[in-house]
Amino acid sequence: MPVDLKRINGPENTVSYKLYTPSKTFKEELKCLFKSNNKRQDGRNSLEHRKMFIKTGIVSQAKGSAYLELGNTKVIVSVFDPREIPNKTDYSQKGVLYCEFKYATFSCPQRRNFQQDSEEKQNSIILKQSLEPAVCLHEFPNFQVDIYALILENDGSSLSAAVTCACVALAHASVPMYDLVTAVTMGVVDNQILMDPTLKEQQLCEVFDETDTKSDHGIIVTSFMSTHQQISQFYQTGNINLENISKSISISTDASGDIKLLIEKCIVNHVLKGANKSNEE
Amino acid sequence: MALCEAEKTFILHSVEENFRIDGRQRGDYRPMELETNIVAPSFGSARLRLANTDVLVSVKLEIDSPTLEQPKLGKIEFFVDCSANATPDFEGRGGDNLATEISNCLSSAYKSSTAFDAGKLCILKGSKCWKLYVDILLLECGGNLYDAVSLAVKAALWDTRIPLVKSVVVDGNKVDMEVSDELFDCERLDVTGAPIMVTVCKIGDQCIVDPTTAEEHCSGGSVVVAVSKSNFSTILQTGGGSLHPMTLLESLKLGQTVAQRLDSTLINTLKQINDNSTDVGFLK
Amino acid sequence: MEDVLVCIPGQRLCLCDKKHISGQGTYERQGYLYSQLAGLVKIIEKEDGVQLIEVHSTQDQGLVPQQGDLVTVQITIINQQFAKCAIKCIGDTVLSRPYRGILRKEDLRATEKDKIEVYKSVRPGDIVLARVLPITEAHTYHLTTAENELGVVTAHSEGGHQMVPISWTEMQCTKTLVKQHRKVAKVLPEKPKQIVT
Repeated sequence: MPVDLKRINGPENTVSYKLYTPSKTFKEELKCLFKSNNKRQDGRNSLEHRKMFIKTGIVSQAKGSAYLELGNTKVIVSVFDPREIPNKTDYSQKGVLYCEFKYATFSCPQRRNFQQDSEEKQNSIILKQSLEPAVCLHEFPNFQVDIYALILENDGSSLSAAVTCACVALAHASVPMYDLVTAVTMGVVDNQILMDPTLKEQQLCEVFDETDTKSDHGIIVTSFMSTHQQISQFYQTGNINLENISKSISISTDASGDIKLLIEKCIVNHVLKGANKSNEE
Repeated sequence: MALCEAEKTFILHSVEENFRIDGRQRGDYRPMELETNIVAPSFGSARLRLANTDVLVSVKLEIDSPTLEQPKLGKIEFFVDCSANATPDFEGRGGDNLATEISNCLSSAYKSSTAFDAGKLCILKGSKCWKLYVDILLLECGGNLYDAVSLAVKAALWDTRIPLVKSVVVDGNKVDMEVSDELFDCERLDVTGAPIMVTVCKIGDQCIVDPTTAEEHCSGGSVVVAVSKSNFSTILQTGGGSLHPMTLLESLKLGQTVAQRLDSTLINTLKQINDNSTDVGFLK
Repeated sequence: MEDVLVCIPGQRLCLCDKKHISGQGTYERQGYLYSQLAGLVKIIEKEDGVQLIEVHSTQDQGLVPQQGDLVTVQITIINQQFAKCAIKCIGDTVLSRPYRGILRKEDLRATEKDKIEVYKSVRPGDIVLARVLPITEAHTYHLTTAENELGVVTAHSEGGHQMVPISWTEMQCTKTLVKQHRKVAKVLPEKPKQIVT
């Protein structure tokens, strides 16, 4: 990790105090996942998505921008005008997407660094691959569209929130697209599928129980284009069998359709507002 | 690599006919060559040649302290080096993106304890553990990098010998260790669950495995699956295309069966290497 | 405001046949027309009842220099063969981000091309009117000033003072009276009629 010389870095090797608070074992945590009435801690069913709020036109300097809230997860995405691809000598027929995924330093329980760490870099790549099939890249040859996703608060499922939000921001920036992309995160723990996990649930899905290696665990992020019924990105980690994966595919494609209705409404509102404004003029 | 429309159509038809341009069927691999224990200064190494793809993997061991979050786990890190020898495209920082993609994919595939038990690398809980540096050097690129890299990594890890720790003495806050210096005083890593990655490439309406560079150019999208035993440890779509949910499911099934077949072949081969270990040089 | 048709990217608009043609902001896939943008649908009636379907975004489109566009550029670097410049405006629109352009020696003027010298035509810092040449495979825009109306509009002398054109090939500094060679543009008055009256 190169040292960031431009900023005063905090002392190295600090750790969260949470490590020294009495912690529950994995089994106990697992029991806390569901309340007695088979609902999750925030009152959802296992396959229920959190409530979502979307707004366009948050960043006035950007060509297009969107803000998305998914429970406590908050994301801002801004999209900038196409510009020439820097440091490139040959001509490319297709345009390029440049995606940057960043957690704000204060967004997670543990403080993040200003520089992108490997998780953020990986998420940037997935964000790019999720959007690429949907954008008409041939419409702006030799140009690059910059997409910046900033997570203000991370309460789980932040990558899928960023994908959905980036899609709204692209539509707002009137970047030509074949279809809208919506993404859903699924968590698998103890052979149960949880849709749209919170940070707590997501951590349970990522961490594994050493004593019980049989049960499935992991995270699945699916980006889906519902008009053309195409999955633009399917990213899974952990250890999951085929049966649970095929189940997750069908569940998440259905959920993507529901989210699409929501962002459709948001985009239509934006268009109508713009149309009214130009009529008044 | 530049292909004209006619060449692309030819490849498309060849896949359709289940008789690919090099005579293989859709589910067939190209011939592979595997050598282990070829880099003297490292603890384990392997070189895999898959037709035109050539990968060299070396494992180095060092002592580190475990993270506070996971005091019982050792560490494993993957570094991919896309040298400009492989293809001129990697010149300068050209290969950086590909390198991060492959190393990220590897680390997420090895993250699960069922795939790779990092607990075995722990020497003393909370203070001392082994750290594995897995260095992957791409010597030549002839398509299908993910598969070749994962096979070579598994072979190199299988070849890795960890020196025995003779004694650990805890004296207050200080930890004193004695590690054996004997050449054969070492133990092997258990890598039976180490994931095998398979790239399933969609060309036309069919899915193929082990694509050549030319076939990769004709693909409308591909899926990389990392399979450990029978479960998936990582799935990632690459190649800039999108897939129908049904196609995705089919490619996952294909990837799973192919990975299991590859895995058993690899383990058998590795066992044979152990039996008749005649010295063969790097360039033979 | 009642009869507007709002569409979103990926929305199916209509069947694509001889009567309906895909226009700007739409694409065709498996016999259907889809929208590429979030915006309003515009149906343009053509002869023989053919309809051209277009989608227009309510936001102004990102402007990219096209062949034949009149652009305002600032010269950045010159050498013996060409002058590099930054495209600042396309027509009347000021760009938010400049594009890189290149003015080759032979495109500086229309006559006596073999005698052109770059430093006698433009200097770094000059504001120049130019036209975009057909876009080739190169990654920068090739420009031309080989028209009477194109060339240097504003220039400053070495002392940093404004220069005024005194002929088609020379400009003079208003303070130091130093003369320098330039390829001067014949700037047309924007509304000629008003000036006559």
